Amino acid sequence: MTLRVFLMILTVAMIMGSAALFIRRILTIYHVMQKARPVNRTDRLGERIKSVLVQVGLHRRMFRISFSGLLHYFIFSGFIILLIDVVETLGEIFFPGFTVGPILAPLVDIWVILVAVGILMALYNRLVIKPERFHGSDEKDAFLILGLIGAIIVGIVIHDSFFPFVAPEVLHVADPVARAHFLGYAVSRLWVVLGWTGPTAASIGYAFGYLLDMGVVFAFLAYLPYSKHLHIFAAVPNIFWRNLEPAGQLVPKPIEDTMAIRTFEDLTWKDVADLYTCTECGRCQAVCPAHAAGQPLSPKMIILQLRDALNDRLADKNPNAEYPDLAGGVIAPEELWACTTCGACQEVCPVFIEHVPKIAGLRSALLEDGIVDPNAQKVLMSWDRQGNSFGQPGRKRPLWAKGIEVPIKDARKEPVDWLWFVGDFASYDPRVQHLTQLIAKMLTQAGVDFGILYESEVNSGNDALRIGEYGLFESLAQKNIDALSKAQYRRIFTTDPHSLNALKNEYPKFGFQAPVMHYTEAFLELIDQGRLVVSPVPIRVTYHDPCYLGRWNGITEAPRQLMARCGVHLVEMPRHGAQSFCCGAGGGRIWMDETGIADRPANQRIREALALPDIQFFTVACPKDVSMFSASVTAMGVEEKVRVVDIAEILAVAIGLQAESSLALMTV
Amino acid sequence: MKIAVLIKDVPDLVEELELTEEGRLAVDDMSFVPSEWDDQALEEALILKEGDAGSTVTAVAIDTGDVDNMLFTALAKGADRGVKLVGDFNREMSNRARAEVLAHYCHTEGFDLILTGVQAIDDLDGQIAGLVAGRLGAAHASVVRDVALGSTSVTCIQEYSGGKMAELRLTVPAVLGIQAAQKTPRYVTVSKVRQMQKSASLEEIEGESSEAPALEIRRLYPPVASSHAEMWGDDVEELADRIVNLLEEKKLLRS
Amino acid sequence: MGPVLAVLEMNANQLTDASQELVTKAKSLADELGTTAMAVAFGDEIGDAIRTLDVGKVVVIGGPAVTSYASLVYEEALEKVLAELAPALVLLANSTMGMDLGAALAARTGKPMLAYATALAVDDSKQLVATSQVYGGKLLAEVQLPTEGTIVTVIPGSWPASGTSGTPQLEDITAEMVPGVEVVRVMEEDSGADVDITRAEILVSVGRGIQDPENLELAEELAQAIGGAVSCSRPVVDAGWLSRSHQVGKSGKTVKPKLYLALGISGAPEHLQGMKDAELIVAVNSDGKAPIFDVAHFGGTADILDLMPALTERLQGRGQ
Ligand SMILES: Cc1cc2nc3c(=O)[nH]c(=O)nc-3n(C[C@H](O)[C@H](O)[C@H](O)COP(=O)(O)OP(=O)(O)OC[C@H]3O[C@@H](n4cnc5c(N)ncnc54)[C@H](O)[C@@H]3O)c2cc1C
Ligand code: SF4
Ligand code: SF4
Repeated sequence: MTLRVFLMILTVAMIMGSAALFIRRILTIYHVMQKARPVNRTDRLGERIKSVLVQVGLHRRMFRISFSGLLHYFIFSGFIILLIDVVETLGEIFFPGFTVGPILAPLVDIWVILVAVGILMALYNRLVIKPERFHGSDEKDAFLILGLIGAIIVGIVIHDSFFPFVAPEVLHVADPVARAHFLGYAVSRLWVVLGWTGPTAASIGYAFGYLLDMGVVFAFLAYLPYSKHLHIFAAVPNIFWRNLEPAGQLVPKPIEDTMAIRTFEDLTWKDVADLYTCTECGRCQAVCPAHAAGQPLSPKMIILQLRDALNDRLADKNPNAEYPDLAGGVIAPEELWACTTCGACQEVCPVFIEHVPKIAGLRSALLEDGIVDPNAQKVLMSWDRQGNSFGQPGRKRPLWAKGIEVPIKDARKEPVDWLWFVGDFASYDPRVQHLTQLIAKMLTQAGVDFGILYESEVNSGNDALRIGEYGLFESLAQKNIDALSKAQYRRIFTTDPHSLNALKNEYPKFGFQAPVMHYTEAFLELIDQGRLVVSPVPIRVTYHDPCYLGRWNGITEAPRQLMARCGVHLVEMPRHGAQSFCCGAGGGRIWMDETGIADRPANQRIREALALPDIQFFTVACPKDVSMFSASVTAMGVEEKVRVVDIAEILAVAIGLQAESSLALMTV
Repeated sequence: MKIAVLIKDVPDLVEELELTEEGRLAVDDMSFVPSEWDDQALEEALILKEGDAGSTVTAVAIDTGDVDNMLFTALAKGADRGVKLVGDFNREMSNRARAEVLAHYCHTEGFDLILTGVQAIDDLDGQIAGLVAGRLGAAHASVVRDVALGSTSVTCIQEYSGGKMAELRLTVPAVLGIQAAQKTPRYVTVSKVRQMQKSASLEEIEGESSEAPALEIRRLYPPVASSHAEMWGDDVEELADRIVNLLEEKKLLRS
Repeated sequence: MGPVLAVLEMNANQLTDASQELVTKAKSLADELGTTAMAVAFGDEIGDAIRTLDVGKVVVIGGPAVTSYASLVYEEALEKVLAELAPALVLLANSTMGMDLGAALAARTGKPMLAYATALAVDDSKQLVATSQVYGGKLLAEVQLPTEGTIVTVIPGSWPASGTSGTPQLEDITAEMVPGVEVVRVMEEDSGADVDITRAEILVSVGRGIQDPENLELAEELAQAIGGAVSCSRPVVDAGWLSRSHQVGKSGKTVKPKLYLALGISGAPEHLQGMKDAELIVAVNSDGKAPIFDVAHFGGTADILDLMPALTERLQGRGQ
């Protein structure tokens, strides 16, 4: 048998074997996806293709960690460029005389070098740098794959180095690109020195290289879909299927029965695809505030635990086998309740996995089984009974408006230009009420015609939904929408990012439509229209982007510009904008027991601020942040170093409504 | 065991309690919530049922207006039956009158164990547990927790003041006034209650009422409240004396 | 008119404070209504306190059946006494026994009943009038009571006991065994164990004003002396000085003790949320403007590090 025939038979067998294994696995997963809940992720083609180009082609998110981004780019691009080698090598055997030509051929050698560098960097990353984010990932698999890739590139160089001898003497063809494969050519000089250039030696050498290359490629193909490296195939479609709806919208359509995720069929098909796309890179884990606080939650592990549970079920032949519940069994209640729904995980994931909807759905299952923090339960009941989280009478909601000299219109009774949706904290928290009053005075000073819904407003339901209580969210939303539909206004305005998110992103599914603005945007507009005249307040501050303002709604510029207009010198914390670090309050966490929290996220954030040079003010733009960070400053005993102020307070000084001394540091 | 839980709703204390010109509670303008101790009793009953496959739990309420939601909530939490005792009843129904109706119903149904809250905020004329037990002539205990089922008896812990307590064994039928369930009453989602309203129905049973002694309330009025502490100054010795006196006056000292 | 009858309760062979108050009230009402005061006590080992009560007659129900409280036994015996004495008014404390017995007895005898009384008086037109605390103390109800056996449960501490003594006639009867309620065993709460702050009747609660973990000892001594448990605000837990199970507030426990002693706690809304419904709140804080004083009933502006030992000393002094 000739070398050619031998390699052809072997190759065909390998292709058939690996393709069969590959297709079988993909079909199994496809089958699960088919049974899952529907979701539309194939609309807006143009946008989707563009995002694939940017995220895959340019590795936009990957490059946020430059070292890892670069090494991955080397290896990833290798997978594409080295397809040239696959074509060339198969061609050499199947179509005698086939060549890729002198231009493409050297690209193979260049990328062999780049991939080798990538592998070395990856080894350095995993063995020396050892980032915490890999904790919990399957590291053995990672090394195995790196080894396989290494084998392939070694195989490439070996068969290229023997081909110049095999071609004329065994296959009886020319090798026009022998020198173009500069690596192979260099190595072939060694064979000359060793005298391994005869037909037998060269054939053995070539066959060895060929099998190392092609054999591992096809083994790879068969193994991949059973390992985390399925992302090599899944990443592109998964990024293509990313969520293009407003980020802050947790639930796209009104839900008839329940949002609870109890079985894999309660996931959407995209959720299933997410499970198989996760690269175990742990970037999500690295940014998770709950994880950083020492809680048992890691967004990565949520995905991996679900995936592993699904794999176990797929591998189990026993149709009657009993499996643990997904919520409470596969994923522990403590993990699920630890999530602040800050969205940092989703924002950072290079393959656009969506953790928060899964967590919320799993929470919903826990809630239906009555497994919920007692304090959170109390708040859910207060929302249901009183419409606020404070357990206060609904009638007391507008009490803050009583004690101030400016009149506040009742938007239920007369038309207003701006309808102010106040929110629970701004209405009820005694520490925030003075800020609410300040806002009212500033609106009056700017001559804005505004009003509130008085006791007809109830909590927006944003947090109820994120706790997994869809029914309660819906009933709260309905109450607000009813009240709003009876009022006449041009736009809605709020200081509360959580309310903003609900009004802007969650209410439209019930047919509600209105422009909603955060106060930082609205006041910026008033200044730019000349309706508020500011004089500089020369203080040095840092600014904390609230998750529901910055990350979920992309409002990062308005607060900064507003401060800039007030002449404030802003020093950024390392984590800011869409990459801001959560205060720990979201997703109902603000009401839950703190057992298991070793280092409160808000305290970590204050330390992040204190590490900046000469910062006296920690500015915020969310009523909950006022409470969260003030409490941290108190608990840490750093009142004399930093003071938490709302941007509204700075603006009040800038427009002469309050003296600058009102911003002075606390003296203890 | 056949377990009944007697539940009622009471004015929501979160809201201001308003009085009519005649000095009665303005019940029409008030919001009502399930009595918190009845919630504890329901939870205890559900826990007992979960631990004993043969037990059923029936939630019973007198139809004094708008009790459906409370009963559907009990069903959504896991009660087997929701019974509404209907008749010419209203929100101002006294506990004595309630006890007559409830005792009559419990007697006809032959429940083994009847649980209810140890008290409610509106028990002016006595607490339901004792009143119903007295009418039934059944064994009873109030201020109890940690109920356990036997075959023809139940055991529980009755709490006294000062950290004293006793383990009791009561022969069924027995009536217990529950102080606290073994765990926090469970949460039930809004949609689960809604689903219950669609899929389940309440049993409406004509309530048998009979004459019961009534009290004449001359007036209801709020106590004079202060919104700030009475300040006792800054002298440590005097403060300590005052605090000790207060403890004595309020009988808070261990004798 | 029948007598005014006080149903007495013993604790460790001592007449409880609440029972002494009932006797005082029975006597004064009887005088005003022109009838006699009587009392009924349970147990074989009644002490001198009962033999010298300032009432006309004491019925002592004894025998093995009444060694510990069991509702049916007590009820049955009382029912007989009531039938015999035909009292105008029966007073019980609003204790476990009173709550248990009062309502059942009323139902058995068909007499009217009033719960949660805090005042009892005879008005100008010689009518017996009671005041009850209802709706969690948010309202008071003034109720006219018929004097034909009405049963009243009284909240302990509603009025002082006079302590006068007399020479009552004593009548001994033996209670019969009634099946149905059996006392398996009587227990004391284990005071050594880590106390559940939601169950404690008195909480000595400390905030950041405690300043140093070493000072916690002062709070613990005070709690010991006062018969309560130590709780705290969040920063004390954050500092690792006390475990999270001691934390009162939004992210901690909600407590409703009979007395909440807030020491060096500013009264942040998150803290108030967990304790504002305590029956009695006494706050001590060096800052007279601290918001804790808005919810406290009584307050003082002293240094808690001085106050705690002073208080402990007085309480310990009393014990001896
Ligand atoms: C989401 C969230 C949840 C929270 N949950 C809780 C909670 O469950 N429980 C809770 O307590 N807090 C909670 N907090 C924290 C809360 O906001 C306050 O920071 C905290 O209650 C303050 O505790 P403090 O009163 O002990 O400390 P401070 O506010 O610092 O008050 C100390 C007080 O002690 C006084 N003082 C100092 N020295 C002395 C002395 N020698 N003698 C007398 N007085 C003295 C001072 O005048 C001051 O008033 C929460 C905060 C947030 C944001
Ligand atoms: S949303 Fe935030 S808290 Fe929740 S898992 Fe993601 S990163 Fe962690
Ligand atoms: S979910 Fe995304 S960010 Fe997290 S480990 Fe998987 S691929 Fe990485």
